[in-house]
Amino acid sequence: MLVNRKLILAHFWLAFGGFGLALLLGAWQMFVRSPLYAWISNPEWYYRSLTAHGTVMGYVFPTLVAMGFGYAITESALQQRLVGVRWAWAGFWLIVLGAVMAMVPVALGRASVLYTFYPPLIGNAFYYVGVVLVVVGSWIWVALMSINLRVWRREHPGEPVPLAMFANVAGSYLWAWTAVGAALELLLQIIPVALGWKTTIDAGLARVFFSWTLHAIVYFWLMPTYIAYYTIVPRAIGGRLYSDSMGRIAFILFLIVAMPIGIHHTFADPQVGAGFKFIHSAFTALVALPTLLTVFTICASVEIAGRLRGGRGLFGWIAVLPWKNPIMLAVAFSFVLLGFGGAGGLINMSYQLDTTVHNTQWITGHFHLIFGGAIVIMYFAIAYDLWPHLTGRALPDLRLARAQLWLWFVGMIVTTFPWHWVGILGMPRRMAYYDYADPAISPQAFSVTLSAIGAIILLISGLLFLFILATAHRQTATEAGAYRFSVAVHPPTTVPIALNTFALWVALMIGLTVTNYGYPIAVLASRPDTSVPAVYVGAQ
Amino acid sequence: MTVQDGHHGAEVAERTEKRWAMISIIIIVMLVLLAAFAGIHQATMPQARVETTDPARLHLSGEFVESNLGTAAEADGTVTVRAIGQQYSFTPSCILVPAQTPVTLRATSADVVHGILIQGTNVNTMLVPGYVSEQFMRFEKTGDHLMPCQEFCSFGHEGMWGKVKVIDKTEFASRAKNRGRLSCVGE
Amino acid sequence: MSAREIFSSRNPYFAISVGVVAGIFVLTAVGGFIILPYAQPELKFAGIWDVICSAAGLPQRSASSDAVQPVRRLSEVVLTPTTLAHPTQESIGRGATLAQRCAICHGPTGVSRADSPNLAGQYGIVIYKELVDFRSGARTNAVMAPFAVNLTDREIVDLAAYYAFLPRLPAYHPQQQLRKPRVVIYGAPIRGVAPCGSCHGSLDNKAGSPWLEGQSETYLKFQLHAFASGQRTNDISQQMRNIARAMTPQEIDEAAAYYASQPSEIVKATD
Repeated sequence: MLVNRKLILAHFWLAFGGFGLALLLGAWQMFVRSPLYAWISNPEWYYRSLTAHGTVMGYVFPTLVAMGFGYAITESALQQRLVGVRWAWAGFWLIVLGAVMAMVPVALGRASVLYTFYPPLIGNAFYYVGVVLVVVGSWIWVALMSINLRVWRREHPGEPVPLAMFANVAGSYLWAWTAVGAALELLLQIIPVALGWKTTIDAGLARVFFSWTLHAIVYFWLMPTYIAYYTIVPRAIGGRLYSDSMGRIAFILFLIVAMPIGIHHTFADPQVGAGFKFIHSAFTALVALPTLLTVFTICASVEIAGRLRGGRGLFGWIAVLPWKNPIMLAVAFSFVLLGFGGAGGLINMSYQLDTTVHNTQWITGHFHLIFGGAIVIMYFAIAYDLWPHLTGRALPDLRLARAQLWLWFVGMIVTTFPWHWVGILGMPRRMAYYDYADPAISPQAFSVTLSAIGAIILLISGLLFLFILATAHRQTATEAGAYRFSVAVHPPTTVPIALNTFALWVALMIGLTVTNYGYPIAVLASRPDTSVPAVYVGAQ
Repeated sequence: MTVQDGHHGAEVAERTEKRWAMISIIIIVMLVLLAAFAGIHQATMPQARVETTDPARLHLSGEFVESNLGTAAEADGTVTVRAIGQQYSFTPSCILVPAQTPVTLRATSADVVHGILIQGTNVNTMLVPGYVSEQFMRFEKTGDHLMPCQEFCSFGHEGMWGKVKVIDKTEFASRAKNRGRLSCVGE
Repeated sequence: MSAREIFSSRNPYFAISVGVVAGIFVLTAVGGFIILPYAQPELKFAGIWDVICSAAGLPQRSASSDAVQPVRRLSEVVLTPTTLAHPTQESIGRGATLAQRCAICHGPTGVSRADSPNLAGQYGIVIYKELVDFRSGARTNAVMAPFAVNLTDREIVDLAAYYAFLPRLPAYHPQQQLRKPRVVIYGAPIRGVAPCGSCHGSLDNKAGSPWLEGQSETYLKFQLHAFASGQRTNDISQQMRNIARAMTPQEIDEAAAYYASQPSEIVKATD
C-alpha cells in the first residue's frame, strides 16, 4: 500500500533532476579535457563544474534515491502508513534548502574546492553549511525508518521483519554512522575556518575524518541496489529468492565492515601509521564477502526463474530468462559492471598494488564503474519498477527503457575501461587540461577521446531515462495493483532474534570504528602542532 | 539444481550456501595473505613513521630549506632526495637520481595538499602540509619520467608537472663528489 | 529476547561475531604492528615500543639533519593567507606619511611614471614581503636597499597597509590592450608552468604574489629574466624561479607586454 506517493515521487524527481544536471556537467568535463576540445581558457570553470558534479552525484542524488525508496519500502513491505509524514517532508525540504545553499556559492565560483573538500583549501562557508543541511535532512529519514520499524514490531511481536525493510533500516543506520566522519570534519574543522573564527586546520586529520565517510558512503549508495537485487529482481522476473537469511547476513555484514576500512583511501598519506593501514587493508578484504554471497544468492534466484520458465541443462535456463523485461536486463548489466568494478576494487584495497594507481585516472574510472555502472543502473530499474505504482500509469514503451539501459551499459564500458587504462599509464586526476601534444602523454590521447565519446552516450541515455519517466505521467491511468517484494523459496516463519534486530550489529559497527579509527583520530586531534594555515580559494 | 520444496529442499539449499560461503572466505583469506606476503617481499610499503613539520617555516630552517633540497649522496651508498610541493611547482622541479641505487624520497608540502606521482614507476605519495612523506624507491633504467602533482591543489593544478631524470650510477657519483645537493634543474 | 540476552555469551551470534571480529583485529594488528615493520630490512627501530608506536602513527617531530646552508641570503618572511588581513585606519595614516619618501619613484598616488612598480592597490602582503626582503638583503636593488634598510617592522606594516588601501589607478604606460598570449591563459603544463592568473590574481591569489596588470613592461621582463637566471632569489623555495626558468624568452616577452597593456582596475575578476 503506497499512500504517500507524492512524497516518494518528490524524492525521486529531485534525485533524478539533479542527476540529469550533474550528468550534463560530467559529460561537458569529459569533453573539454579530452583532445576533442582546445584547452579551456579558464581552468577554474572546470573545477567549479567538477565540484558541482561531485557534490550532486555523491551527496544529493543517491541520498534522495535511498530516502524515496526507503519510504516506499516502509509502506509496501510493512503494509502500514508511514508514521511521521510531516517530518519526512521537513527532511525533504531541508535537503532542497541545503542543496541550493551549497550550489549557489559553487555556481558563483566561490567554492571550487571539489566535493572532497580537502582542506587547508577553504571555500565559501555556505557551501559546507549546505552540505551539512543535506546530511541533517537525511538523518531525519534515518530516524523515521527506525521509528516506523518500531511501530510495526509493536503490532507484530516476534514476526520476521520483511527482508526489504530489514535491509533498508540497515542501510539507514550505516548512513547515519558513516556521515558522522564528514560531519565532524565539517563542523569541528572546516566551517569554523570558513567563517573566519579560526585560521588554521589540521589537513591530515581532516583526511582521516573524510575517509571515515568516503568509503562507507559507497555502501550506502549500494544499499538500494542490493535491496533491488534481493527483493525486486526475483519477483520481477517470475522467480523466487533463493535464501532470505543469506540476504539478512549480507546486509548485516555490510553494516559491520563497510565502515572501519576507510583508511585504505589514505594508504599514500603521511599522517596515518602503517599498522592501521594494514588493519584497514585486511578489513577491506572482508567487505568483499557480502558481495560474493549476494552474487551467489542472486544468480541462484535468477536460475530458479529460468527453471520455472522451463529452462533445462547447465546453461539452458539463461536463454529462457525474460530478457525483454528491463529489470532482467538491468540486473545482468549491473552484475557485469559490478564484476569488473569489484576486480578493480580488489586492486585498490591492497596497498602494494594501490601505489601504482593511487590518485590516477584509474580511481576515477573505478568509482564511476561501480557507482555509475553497477549502482545507478539499478536505480533506473527501481524507478521503472516503482513508477507505475507511484503514478498509476504504465510506462510508455518498454522498448525505450531497454534501449536506455543498453545505452547506459555500453556507455559505461566505453567511458570507464579506457579511463582505467590511462590511469595505469600514470595520468593524474582532476586537471582542467592535458598537453596531449607532448610525446610523454600523447599515447593517452586516444583512450581519453574514447572516454569522452562514452560520456556522450551516457548523457543521451540519462536524458532518455528522464524522458521516459516524464512521459509516463501522461499515459492513460491503469491499476498497477499492490507493490510487492520477492518471496523466498522457503519464506521465513521464524528468524533468530540476531537476524531480526540491529542492536548487536550496530554495537559491533561502533566498536570497530573505535578500534580502527579511535587512535589515528585521537592522536592527531590531541596535538596542537599539526594544524596549518588555511588557504582561502578565490580569496582577496 | 532444481527447485525443491519441503524440508529436504531447505537442507540442500543451506548446504550449497554454506559451501559457497566457505569458498568466499577462502578467496578473501588468500587475498589478505597475498597482501601480507607482498609486503614482506620487497613491494612498496607505506611509510613507517609519522613525522610532523611546520609548512609555513620550511624555508627558515631544517631539512627542507631551499639549499638542502635536491639529491644527496649518503655515506652508505644510498641517496636521499628532499623535495617540497607548493602551489604550483615542485622544488627541485627536476629531480636527479642514479639508476640501480636505493633512493629515499623525503618530501612535504608548503601550503595545501599535493601529491607526487612518478609516471612509469610505483612511486606515488601524498604531500600533506604539516607532515613529512617518506618513500623508498629504486630505478633500474636510466631515462626521463614525468612527475605530475596528483591531487587537486587549486586552480593552477593542471600546470604542476615536475620531472625525474635517472642517470647512470657512475655519472651520478662523479657529479656528487663535492657533497652538495644535486638536481637536473635547467638541464 | 531482551538486550541482555542478545549481548550474552550464550547467544551464538554474539559469541561468534564478536569472537571472529576480535580475532581478525588481533591477527591483523600483530601483522601490521609487529611482523611487517620487522620484515622491512631498510627500517631501523630502537626496540619493540618504537616499532609499535611508529606503526600506530604516533607523530614524531622531523629529525634535524645537517642541512646544506644557503650561500646567499634568502627570504625569511613567513607568509600565511591571513598575514596583514585587517589593517587599522591608524596604520594606513602612518603609512601615508611614510610613503612620501617613496613618491619619487613610485609616484605620489602610487602609480609610477618611471619603470618602477605601481604600488597603489597592490596586495598588502606583497609590499610587506618585498620590503622585509629588501631590508634583509634577500632581494637586492641599489635604489631600494637604502630606503628599506632602516625601516622598522611597524613601518613596513604601515606602508603595506597604506598602499593596499590606495585605489587602483590607470597606469602611465597605456597602450592598446593586447590579446592574452598562450602562456598567460594556459601556462605550459608539461614544462610545469601554471596559468599566471592562478597565483597573480585573475584566477586566484597565492599569498605573496602581486597582481601585475599595468606594471611596466621593462620591469616585468627584467624581473622574469632575473628569476630565470637565478639573479633574484627571494621567492620562497623557488616558487617563481621554477616558473620563469621554464618559460621561453619569447613567452617572457609576451607575458610582460600583455600585463603591461592591461588596466589595473580589472584586477581580480573574482573580487
